[in-house]
Amino acid sequence: MALHPGWSRRAFLRASAGTAALAGAAGALTGCSSGTTASGATRVQVWSWMTGMDQYVAAFNAAQREVHVDLSVIAAGLSGGYAQQTNAIKAHNAPDILHVEYQGLIQVLATGGLRDLTDDVADLGDGYSPAAWQGVRPGGRTWAVPMDLAPMAFYYRKDLFDEHGIDVPTTWEEFRDAAAAVREADPGARITTFPLNDGSFFAGMSWQAGDPWWRIEGDTWVVGVDGPGTMRTAEYWQDLIAADLVRGGPTGNQEWIASVHSGRLWGLLGAAWSVGTLKKSIPDDTGRWAVATMPTWDGEPANGIQGGTAFGVSRESRSPEAALTFLRWLSTDPEVPRIGASFTSPFPAYLPNRDVARTAVADDYFVGPPVYDVLDEAAARVPDWTWGPNALGLFSTITDTFGGVSTGRTTLPDAVRRVQSAAVSDMRDRGLSVREGSRA
Amino acid sequence: MTVVPPREAPRATGRRRPSALASWALAAPFALLLLGTVLVPIGYALYLSLFTERLSGLGFDGPRDVFVWLENYATVLTDAAFHEGVGNVARYALIHVPLMLGGALLLALLLDAAMVRLRQVWLLSVFLPYAVPGVIGGLIWAYLYSPNIGPLNDLLPWDPLGSGGIMPSIVTIATWQWLGYNVIIFWTALRTVPRDVLEAARVDGAGPIRTALSIKVPAIRPTVFVALVFTVIGSLQLFTEPLVLRTFTGSVTSTWTPSLYVYESAFISNDYGRAAAASILLALACALLSALVMRLSARRSR
Repeated sequence: MALHPGWSRRAFLRASAGTAALAGAAGALTGCSSGTTASGATRVQVWSWMTGMDQYVAAFNAAQREVHVDLSVIAAGLSGGYAQQTNAIKAHNAPDILHVEYQGLIQVLATGGLRDLTDDVADLGDGYSPAAWQGVRPGGRTWAVPMDLAPMAFYYRKDLFDEHGIDVPTTWEEFRDAAAAVREADPGARITTFPLNDGSFFAGMSWQAGDPWWRIEGDTWVVGVDGPGTMRTAEYWQDLIAADLVRGGPTGNQEWIASVHSGRLWGLLGAAWSVGTLKKSIPDDTGRWAVATMPTWDGEPANGIQGGTAFGVSRESRSPEAALTFLRWLSTDPEVPRIGASFTSPFPAYLPNRDVARTAVADDYFVGPPVYDVLDEAAARVPDWTWGPNALGLFSTITDTFGGVSTGRTTLPDAVRRVQSAAVSDMRDRGLSVREGSRA
Repeated sequence: MTVVPPREAPRATGRRRPSALASWALAAPFALLLLGTVLVPIGYALYLSLFTERLSGLGFDGPRDVFVWLENYATVLTDAAFHEGVGNVARYALIHVPLMLGGALLLALLLDAAMVRLRQVWLLSVFLPYAVPGVIGGLIWAYLYSPNIGPLNDLLPWDPLGSGGIMPSIVTIATWQWLGYNVIIFWTALRTVPRDVLEAARVDGAGPIRTALSIKVPAIRPTVFVALVFTVIGSLQLFTEPLVLRTFTGSVTSTWTPSLYVYESAFISNDYGRAAAASILLALACALLSALVMRLSARRSR
């Protein structure tokens, strides 16, 4: 944080990215005329809902004089953030930098508001976790700069599992047995929650099954939400829900926290950011939780991802070079995870920074194997996946169609089939070139 | 009329124009507001409703606007999700409107009948929920309904967040929110009923119930009809309560009411044309229904 404010631009850039390749990019920085501050810095506006973004921006602004970043905190993505951004794109007054999760990137891209960054950040590609780099490169062109990654993992109450002699499940078959054992040990307790209202959770579960919901074939979207991997996932969870072995309802809200707090939920199928959720929501549980990679299908190592952030540059930005200067810093500078470690457990997409985060974050909450080891392994196991141009709308459709599962009005496999046909017809209506089909 | 000329005379010569200007100046803020916040947006919505955004191929090149005439209206009117939303609002209104107006009228009559001690305290307490912002009220109720942490979930014989219980739950929230508001309106109207008429009724031997039904209620009928119009329009626009509950239960779909349908079209599907068409249709329905109720009230009070 204590960077010298008097650094020259070149020295700053070199220090921040640590690569000589940046010298070329720095040359492109000259000649930004629009939107400058009194001291001559180029002004860049960013809209984001990321926790702690204000601290990152403050550190960046303090560290150099060439670019001044103005932050507007907006509502979280599906709670209105995407609406605000797409409205601004439509009204031609979007900020220079847009907050886009990997899952929302293509839908924002379809508004025509993002700048093609393929040549601008080509030099950074090697540094990122492949899942993140692929996440910002649908169709082979780069549309955003990755920030963090959110591989899924299984968090569980090690003390309770040990006390009742329940083994940590490594396959989904074992997971079902463990779920039954948990309920037997305490009839009021369940092994975990299946959040029926969370499309990104179900997407992460299906992602593990290795059956992407979208694929790009030439100039056509191939949509396969009802592929065999997803259907298998749906059937598995339908079985657990019907047998009352897992709880319904959302995770992360007050009711969920109360359930975890009182020992009525022994586990969480969460993502990398769940580390922060657990630490913040139930700090009293320090030393009781452990983390493991997800149970697998037939022992085949694979993991899904739930969430993860990237940042795009607006097509209409008048200072794209300055915006990229900030994004390069935000994405790759070792200072960023150090700042982040003071209030969260960052899991950077840029691999060298992950080691920085690992040493900076105090790992005293969990027992068992270090969290970063487990998450690293999970991130390395992620199969290929492409998000579609209607991913966010699809999450909403999932919430709508899965709603009847808890009352028995429908089943997960039936709901998934309805999601597939709704997704296909929605994409056709919007004029996209679509074909139905899954990998198998 | 005879009083005016002495003052007007000296002005008449050269001051006509400035006074016309002054009247324009005085009307201008309202006219500008009307233009900027009502007429222009309506015009823009009408314009938007005739276009749709079409993507092509993979959609990476962004959309282009296509003029589609009334296609968006046809899409909305034939959309099963929209029908479902209209059905939900209709069922909601059938429960909510009589429940709330009847309840508010009853409470107002009781308060007016002077049978109540501490009237101001009662008035304040029924009015308080109206002072709570809708979203906050929705959240409070959502927690009351939630399993394990809310008391209502255990007390009620049905699941307030389940598919069968969600409608009564939403009606309860809305009625709780708006009841006091209407009680105040009715009570204020009841205060204006001439006391000598009520005294005459008492002399004629009418009890409090007879007085309420035969004198007070007919006397405030126009007020009740105005409240009815507002309540019906409010029901059609039902939005906040289901939106808040949606994060707590799967029983509320993203298109549960026409207002939610508009929101979903614009901000989740990014289909502004469909959203504009649906909002125009919603506005038309509101206008038609209020015209109907007003006509009904005019006929009744004749």
